[in-house]
Amino acid sequence: MTTLSLGGPGVACSVTRLRRLAAGELSGDERSRLEAHLDGCARCQQAAAGLEAERRTLAADLPFEAFAAGVAEQLARAQARPPGRAWRRVVPLALAAGLVAAVAAPLLSTLHREGPRVGGDDGTRIKGGAAVQLLVREGSGARVLLPGEPVPAGAALRLTLSPARRTWVAVALVDEDGPALLHAGPASPGPLAEPFEWTGRRGRLVVVLGDRPIDGASLLGRLVAGDPDPAGPAASLDVLVLPLLRGAP
Amino acid sequence: MARLEVIRGGRIELAGPSTGPSGAPGTGLLEELYRRHAAMVLGRCRYLLGDRDAAQDAAQEVFVSALRALQEFQGASSPTAWLLRVATNHCLNVRRAGRAAWPAELATLSRDRRERGIEPDTRELVRALLSAAPAEAQEIAVLYFVDELTQVEIAETTGRSLPTIRKRLREFLGAARAALAEAIPGLALPDPEVLP
Repeated sequence: MTTLSLGGPGVACSVTRLRRLAAGELSGDERSRLEAHLDGCARCQQAAAGLEAERRTLAADLPFEAFAAGVAEQLARAQARPPGRAWRRVVPLALAAGLVAAVAAPLLSTLHREGPRVGGDDGTRIKGGAAVQLLVREGSGARVLLPGEPVPAGAALRLTLSPARRTWVAVALVDEDGPALLHAGPASPGPLAEPFEWTGRRGRLVVVLGDRPIDGASLLGRLVAGDPDPAGPAASLDVLVLPLLRGAP
Repeated sequence: MARLEVIRGGRIELAGPSTGPSGAPGTGLLEELYRRHAAMVLGRCRYLLGDRDAAQDAAQEVFVSALRALQEFQGASSPTAWLLRVATNHCLNVRRAGRAAWPAELATLSRDRRERGIEPDTRELVRALLSAAPAEAQEIAVLYFVDELTQVEIAETTGRSLPTIRKRLREFLGAARAALAEAIPGLALPDPEVLP
């Protein structure tokens, strides 16, 4: 009969302590002791090599851009369906493909021909830069929701983007119930994310564009706080805001 | 303090230093979490789930959980331990909801040993034996045998009593012993009473 070891903590060895050391969670004597132990412990050196292998796997399998996009997508999905808050929905709707192909593309073409305008009162375009429009489904097609025009009840909405030279975008909805992340990922011309329905009374869509992945979580944090937080990309960003207003019943 | 101001239709610049708390240039919250913890979380998910795509989905879900409980996460005495627990419990739930693969894993380890003389890898053996144990014992077994926390540290981390931790380890080893006796005869497991 052979007795197996299943592993477990050693007298001074613990892979969790090595993880905490690598994450910068140890300091002072605890850190010094572990570093000294690591220098002379083959088991811990092997464990540390295993942690390094994990980092290589992460870089190869899930680079930051893909990770951020996946987290943003799942975060948006989770926040779009808050339990017990059915009065405020952001519901993906299955719009006809024609909404995108037949309507959005001509709109964007028109915009390019006209050229960008100085940021006007509607806040949907930037001089020399990006522009965004909100489409509302109407019959079998779609039309642009005009600035200041109330959002019809039950309307299927979809954003279209002209990112100019910006490569990343995040979209948040802010209304009476606070902010929710709708989309974060690469910016490409055309429709953004999935169609959605908005059931709030007054709000705004905040579209942030940049040259690096937009940290959706930080964006939400800043919107929750009204703006301030040091955690955010250091590069310049473009911000477009589309007011949302519910019409009188 | 860098500040982001939302300006309708305007262009903004972040003023102030461009470094985050760690000193890394332009580090956002998610990027900081990724840099510090994503390798560990993905590694845990791959270990417990095996499947690469499922592990990536699970790892991202773990960070969504952290972002939705940001105050609790950032207030944890060890964010590393907090995330590992979330990742472990998430993946154990996924395993329990899926098809029971552990008899096949044990059979593979048994065949490799019998036919090729390869002794089972400790981590693979623990993983194969996890599902044989009661749900409450699985997390404790991972914390002890994989994360190498002592029983006292597990009690502190989980908020359970030391006798409860010992009881869960005994449950795991009892279930594992029964599963091993059937799948890989001739192997024995350590006495739980002598575990540190």
